[in-house]
Amino acid sequence: MTFATRVRTAILEVFAETGIAPSPAGVAERLGSEVEPVLEAWDRLREGRAIVSGEDGVSIRMANPFSGIPTEHTFESAGVRYYANCAWDALGIPAALGRGGTVGSRCAHSGEPLRLEVADDGPEPCGWVFHSLVPAAHWWDDIGFT
Amino acid sequence: MLFFRSEDDLQAWCRGRGVESGPAVPVPQLWRLSRVWYGSRLDPEAPRRTPTEARAIFAGVGLTGSFWDPVPCEEPDGDCRALS
Repeated sequence: MTFATRVRTAILEVFAETGIAPSPAGVAERLGSEVEPVLEAWDRLREGRAIVSGEDGVSIRMANPFSGIPTEHTFESAGVRYYANCAWDALGIPAALGRGGTVGSRCAHSGEPLRLEVADDGPEPCGWVFHSLVPAAHWWDDIGFT
Repeated sequence: MLFFRSEDDLQAWCRGRGVESGPAVPVPQLWRLSRVWYGSRLDPEAPRRTPTEARAIFAGVGLTGSFWDPVPCEEPDGDCRALS
């Protein structure tokens, strides 16, 4: 396993445990490493689209399906609130964690809140739909908009 | 990427913005996609997907057609745009 993969894994583990994006220093401490190599791995992960940085270039805005900033798409489980990058990722988080909980979101047109219980084998019956305005080939042209 | 409580809401939202809608994906189908796409996300050994693999995942849950093609036509050998 490369060091960048260890960093990526540590980032996702911290998100999974806490719902909060780790800092480079936090990941370095977790790995028993200096911060500098973690920052170098950060760059490679950003180039490889494993993470998306915030405006400061260091904080993590996205490590799909987790969001490092609050959004309207959430998943709550085992006392932890997770923020998702989009509607898809709101279901992606329970899929990644492998455990149930509650998805929260809203209808983009009516504003009606969505509260969707998700069990280990999937969500309760629900007639809502998911929609992406951007075709898959262009999701990463502007991932924040997507 | 947003939720709508019905396809009527989706179409009204698109009309209001003068945009053409993409496919409406029912929540059960989105869940099937999520399980395949993100089910191994925390596995450190999980490899990155090729465009062909990503396309197969979409097709495997019934998402087919050019909208779900992860590689731009001008980049036939490029990186998979849908990798995340």
